[in-house]
Amino acid sequence: MNHKVIAKDGIREFIDGLIEEYRVFAPVEGKKILRLREISSGEEACLDFYNTKMSSKEALFPQNEVLFTYKKDREAIEKEATSPMKREQVLFGVRPCDAKGVTLTDVFFSSGEHRDQPYLEKRDRTAIVGLACNRPLNTCFCTSTGGSPFGKEGMDLLLVDLGERYLVEILTERGERLLGAAHGLRDATEEDMKLAQRLSNEADNAFSKELPTEGLSERLDGMFEDPIWDTIHQKCVGCGICTFVCPTCWCFDVVDEEKANGAIRIRLWDTCQLPLFTLQGSGFNPRPSGKERLRQRVMHKLNYFPKEFGSLACVGCGRCVRECPVNLDIREIIETIMSM
Amino acid sequence: MTNPYVPHIAVLRRIITENAMNDIKTFEVEFEDAEAARNFNYKPGQFGMVSYFGAGECPIGIASSPTDERSIEFTIKKVGVVTTALHNSMVGDKIGVRGPYGNGWPIEAMEGHNVLIVGAGFAFTTLRSLAKYILNEDNRGRFGDLTVLYGARNPGELIYKYDLNSWEKRDDIDLILTVDRGDESWTKRVGYVPTILEETSASSENAVAVICGPPIVIRLSMPILTKLGFTPEKTYLSLEMRMKCGIGKCGRCNVGDKFVCQDGPVFSQKELQEMPKEY
Repeated sequence: MNHKVIAKDGIREFIDGLIEEYRVFAPVEGKKILRLREISSGEEACLDFYNTKMSSKEALFPQNEVLFTYKKDREAIEKEATSPMKREQVLFGVRPCDAKGVTLTDVFFSSGEHRDQPYLEKRDRTAIVGLACNRPLNTCFCTSTGGSPFGKEGMDLLLVDLGERYLVEILTERGERLLGAAHGLRDATEEDMKLAQRLSNEADNAFSKELPTEGLSERLDGMFEDPIWDTIHQKCVGCGICTFVCPTCWCFDVVDEEKANGAIRIRLWDTCQLPLFTLQGSGFNPRPSGKERLRQRVMHKLNYFPKEFGSLACVGCGRCVRECPVNLDIREIIETIMSM
Repeated sequence: MTNPYVPHIAVLRRIITENAMNDIKTFEVEFEDAEAARNFNYKPGQFGMVSYFGAGECPIGIASSPTDERSIEFTIKKVGVVTTALHNSMVGDKIGVRGPYGNGWPIEAMEGHNVLIVGAGFAFTTLRSLAKYILNEDNRGRFGDLTVLYGARNPGELIYKYDLNSWEKRDDIDLILTVDRGDESWTKRVGYVPTILEETSASSENAVAVICGPPIVIRLSMPILTKLGFTPEKTYLSLEMRMKCGIGKCGRCNVGDKFVCQDGPVFSQKELQEMPKEY
């Protein structure tokens, strides 16, 4: 039986049980920004929300992360690897779009000759408990990018909010192990399954329209020099918020920070929307204006990444649409491209 | 799995000031760890990520040749935080080096061919590596005629004068030096690299051309190479891009769907014709 049911008032206890064994990250409403944070009690978790303001990438690819530290004096430089995670971690209450985003990040950081150890080491020791999306927002478009509000990609467990109780679907062995921390589980009945199916259908039908994304990547193939880029970037103020909230933006900067007798090398989120991103030492910048920078973002998500990895680098979470200060809407850009 | 971002420690063994402006220096480095030294097998045209601890890290082309018995060399122009810190350091100081990264010059495609090397300004570093590699006695027989055209703004800005002097004495290399503006003692050519390239009318028969230099030199030289008969398949360029990781992860050095750090930095003109013009 892969479907269990847990009563709503049992969920905090389940999280508390997980905390005994794992570092648990869950949506927390701190300073009015709902985001995944490490919690020390099930009470802190906020499980009734549309979506978190920041994507769950924060827990695996933090805004800043020490790559290594070193001690330095006249004679010697001593490197110290950052200590690996002591405990496994659980990301609790991750929406399907974000979990799918994690799978794409996995693919990218595992690719090529040089695998990204700082990310992958954390990822290998991370379980994801998803939370299906009963109420997609009008900015959401996951069904247009290969996902769905009840999608399971990247998860170990999927929770479905059935009102007074959660349906729990076990998706991996790791997920099954997590459930060891839960009390009061019972097998799901046909009625539970029917209700979940109805909610899933309702969520699917909540999307006002489907974006035309079939053949989108191929269409962009010959469009690098298209005049469309001269116009669509014009209202963009180049703030980069679209990239910071995006679950599939993983570009970073690397800087040193000096301390008294040593220093740390850290990586920080960076964004292709800022001019410094590509500014060369000579003063030459291959992406000198907003036109080239917005084109880079759109092309990377919808053309370059799909060509290499066979999937759009967009999960349709809609955060870039919601957070953009000038209402630049990737959905409109996609529609424009597809209508050409 | 090892952390690919942690560099090896290397000691600065020698620092050579290369130009009159005093802003280009060659750093000879030696790895502290013998295993790191053994594993640093590079080809001409590859680069390393060089760090000054506390200041940061940046990509630098390898200026020495793998045939050099001495340690590895990086020629670095002082332009920003990291390069300034390196310029201020002294022999014996320790820096970080990781790599080698990138594809390097296409040695296989050059074997059995005449080679025309065109370089301008400070971008001559990995071309010097290539020239030294070809001129090595064990390798020289595998290549045809070698022509090196190298130019700088003025005589004081030509780097590797010690190499240029010794190459001039050899009969297995045709070295053409030019400057934009000469001085009293300058007896060689005066003129921009593309102009001199046209004047020399190097033969493209059974030849491969490689070029590296400021964008303007590249832009003006390409039509001349075409006129001389070098096909896009037989013309190679090395691109420069801002980089933070060198291993295809930080996301900023791409030209279209190619990462300059991994798929490049060397591309044939044919490959570049199929890529967006964003470099």
